[in-house]
Amino acid sequence: MAKAAVAVAGSFERQGRRGAAADYDVGLMLAFQKGNELAFQELVERNHGRVTGLIYRFISDASDAEDLGQEVFLRIYRARKTYKPTAKFSTWMFRITANVSLNALRSRANRRDDVSIDQLSDFGDGPRAMPDPDSRMPDVHLHQRELQEKVREAILALPEKQQVAVILNKYEGMSYADIAKTIGCTTMAVKSLLARARDNLKDRLLLYIRTGRGRQRVS
Amino acid sequence: MPSPCQWIRSVLAAYLDGELKPSTAKAVRRHLEHCESCRAHARLLRDSWGLLDESPPAPVRAGFTERMMARIVEEKDLNAVASRLRPHRVRQRVVASVLGMAAGLVLGFVAYSWTGLPQEPTSPVERDVSHSVSFIEDVDLLDEIAVIQAIDRLVIPDETGNGA
Repeated sequence: MAKAAVAVAGSFERQGRRGAAADYDVGLMLAFQKGNELAFQELVERNHGRVTGLIYRFISDASDAEDLGQEVFLRIYRARKTYKPTAKFSTWMFRITANVSLNALRSRANRRDDVSIDQLSDFGDGPRAMPDPDSRMPDVHLHQRELQEKVREAILALPEKQQVAVILNKYEGMSYADIAKTIGCTTMAVKSLLARARDNLKDRLLLYIRTGRGRQRVS
Repeated sequence: MPSPCQWIRSVLAAYLDGELKPSTAKAVRRHLEHCESCRAHARLLRDSWGLLDESPPAPVRAGFTERMMARIVEEKDLNAVASRLRPHRVRQRVVASVLGMAAGLVLGFVAYSWTGLPQEPTSPVERDVSHSVSFIEDVDLLDEIAVIQAIDRLVIPDETGNGA
């Protein structure tokens, strides 16, 4: 597989393509488009960690993240005939990943909603209910797993686009411009999304900030 | 809250992410140096953002690529089955079946006409004709009998001694 990849990359560089197409993964995808299945295999090998890692940020279930990761690569596999290298490969791949993740979240939410209608007394205010900051005081030494859960809930409680923007920015380190290309909006819109998302997260995680974790000097 | 603070807070996230133009970032930095309220706000934004690092990464499970490629093989198999059952192929099969049945019927009819199996007459006229035809057939039979009898007479002398 490594030999195939080197050959693909070499031939691709000889073509002297620029911009998005100079992306190594784009070269692999184009080679796959021409029938090189090993190129697809290498695409999977190179990117599955990022894809499943990103899905896991939405789903928080390793097994589901793997299944959905496979779904992402299946979509890439099926799209080989229509693929056009108009952007970085990762932008396209993360767009598919975000769509697959959000679809999974929606179907999960629907299933939960179905249950909660019949079993409202067991489920209280529903799965996305946040703790009322005024009604309970957290322990000073909040257990790490509980904190992780609160962070996850805070992210999942955001509107979908804010969720995607936060996850791509925070965990993938993507710039506003790349996020804009991934979710199909302007850089200004991403700026606004992330400003609102960060305000929401601040409000939801206020209690946990005040436990003294992670304070840094802002200048 | 004074107006400059409102503007500063609207761009604080971008400032913290290093997404502002240098001149704008410089203006924000200057404001933060003398505005305690905005500085506190920026600290909260940064600390809450920092809490997101508590969220653990996905656990690594080996063999993803192998499982993925196995799924691709399944996909190919499914595609092969699906292509065999594509609508135009089903249509072709239906047309072939109908043509086969039609050809069978035509052949059956031709064979039936050729062998000329007897049919029971239904109308009185048909019965009449049929009767006549059977009579004609009977006449042939009678002729044959008469010939045989004549031959017998020629070959076997009768008791009176007359014969050929």
